[in-house]
Amino acid sequence: MAKKLSGPQMVIANRLDDGRVVFLDRAGGWSVTPANAAVADDEDAIEALANVAAASVAANKVLSVEVIEATTDENGAPWPAHIKFAMQAKGPSVRADLGYQVALNWEN
Amino acid sequence: MYAYDQYDHALVNARVGEFRDQVNRRLSGELTEEEFRPLRLMNGLYLQLHAYMLRVAIPYGTLSANQMRRLAHIARTYDKGYGHFTTRQNVQFNWPKLVDTPDILQELADVEMHAIQTSGNCIRNVTTDQFAGAAGDEVADPRPYAELLRQWSTFHPEFSFLPRKFKIAITAAKEDRAAVKWHDIGLILKQNDAGETGFEVIVGGGMGRTPVIGKTIRDFLPEADLLSYMEAILRVYNEQGRRDNKYKARIKILVEDLGAEEYARQTEAEWQAIRNNPIDVPAEEAARIRAFFAPPRLEVLSDDVAEVDDLARQNFLFAAWVRNNTGKHKVPGHVHVTISLKPHGGIPGDATDAQMDLVADLADQYSQGEIRVSHAQNLILPHVAKRDLPALWKTLDAAGLGAANQGLLTDIIACPGLDYCALANARSIPIAQAITSRFDDMKRLMDIGPLKIKISGCINACGHHHAGHIGILGVDRRGEENYQLLLGGSGAEDASKAAILGPGFGEEGIVDAVEKVVAVYLGEREDGEEFLATYRRLGPAPFKEAVYGAR
Repeated sequence: MAKKLSGPQMVIANRLDDGRVVFLDRAGGWSVTPANAAVADDEDAIEALANVAAASVAANKVLSVEVIEATTDENGAPWPAHIKFAMQAKGPSVRADLGYQVALNWEN
Repeated sequence: MYAYDQYDHALVNARVGEFRDQVNRRLSGELTEEEFRPLRLMNGLYLQLHAYMLRVAIPYGTLSANQMRRLAHIARTYDKGYGHFTTRQNVQFNWPKLVDTPDILQELADVEMHAIQTSGNCIRNVTTDQFAGAAGDEVADPRPYAELLRQWSTFHPEFSFLPRKFKIAITAAKEDRAAVKWHDIGLILKQNDAGETGFEVIVGGGMGRTPVIGKTIRDFLPEADLLSYMEAILRVYNEQGRRDNKYKARIKILVEDLGAEEYARQTEAEWQAIRNNPIDVPAEEAARIRAFFAPPRLEVLSDDVAEVDDLARQNFLFAAWVRNNTGKHKVPGHVHVTISLKPHGGIPGDATDAQMDLVADLADQYSQGEIRVSHAQNLILPHVAKRDLPALWKTLDAAGLGAANQGLLTDIIACPGLDYCALANARSIPIAQAITSRFDDMKRLMDIGPLKIKISGCINACGHHHAGHIGILGVDRRGEENYQLLLGGSGAEDASKAAILGPGFGEEGIVDAVEKVVAVYLGEREDGEEFLATYRRLGPAPFKEAVYGAR
């Protein structure tokens, strides 16, 4: 990653076939639910996540992979810290009725 | 309207087949994203925040009713029931799946549409006056020239990998509704003293992080020489434009570096070398293309229509709509009608599939089956009999398309911003919604008069904030959305760059700031003086004091 990140981190990407936003989960798969995201705190763990993500890119499952800063939502579950990635997690703020994320019933 | 010939059909269909193969190879892993990305971009397919985004070309903003119906069908079948009309007179779908895009492109090809050259460092969709062919104030219909440029620039081998994207706009009217001075090349169709038709040629305009107003390099170019002269301009740019720095790669930087006079000299030298080559089309071919744009046969009618006057007396909103959203047509008894896609509190430029279908039906019923898209993100019915206005307005109003705000403060241009766009730093649409909700009073808007607000969510300026009478630029300020306020821009014939007034604001603060700016204008304006004129007369000082004085 070009920018040095600090603190807990998670991995976000888009699915290849439909572009849907997904998060690298604790089982090494991709989940549409950020609460399932694997969060890494130290350099080795972050690198391990990045390696799993890179393997998924190579296997043509996802694209546009980013390791991003993680925070927690009001329930203590993983949530993207930066507004841009939070927007990806929630869907467009102006069409809360339409994003892929609607089915997930976000409260935040 | 232009109709595809066998070559157009063959080219577009072949391209669909080629892209279908490329998508299949990407999905099977035969192509990596690095290899596939330039291929999908050449077909208008981006990856944005939530999904892929498909940008479909609407050549010079002209659509038939059947084409609009197909866009509605695509929105309903492959997307989430809406499309977004853009400042390039195009339409974008926000949720297509990669696996569906070859089918979408085939659906488009079947109605003579495509997404070719809606992305990439090539010549993009040529834009023009949304009232072309209808406007009472044009020298001639600019669309035959735009179509000629489309044919010349499509798959042009030399200009498919330019240093950067390239945008051309044409206007044929005194009032510049196509923002030609803000384009890489701007063309103003005019007649000389001998009555010959030609172009004033402007180069090096552009927005983005370095806003520049284009410079005239030729006062009059005979129409027959259009393509060879364009070729000369493009060749100078293609050879000398910077490829080492994406942010300095547009033609505006080269024109600034060389100076407009030198750019003109080099263009002229190149042109003299090539102008006798068979680049320009023979007169018969120009006439063949022009014939597609023959004006519809409209009955000459009276401009005085009692039904319109009666309803206008009874209904203030209808009266406002007639005043703001209709304009003088070439043929007496007719008008062009702007269907506002700016309902107060709504999303600028969005239309649902049902609205698109309705507009298509209304175009068939009232406007010779023709529709236009404006760079201000509205739709136009170009050929409407005045006597049909009451029925048309009632139908539009019932469908949420009756907003009477064309050209007024709430007719806001806004880019998709951080709600959709992977490049954005801040949201644009909620700012537009907050402003149009705050000013949701037609009497107040009519009192304020013409005022263009333009909002971009990053410095790439897709929302044209540099050209806004009031411009708003969203930035990322330490992870928070922040909005800069700019004043004094214009995209019209009196083009000017808006200047930043002072420190930025949060979401709430920027709406308050707009209100304070408007209050200064209302307090200071002279009789009949529009906002921009008042700003130019007074300068920024009183506005600055009103907005920041209490800080």
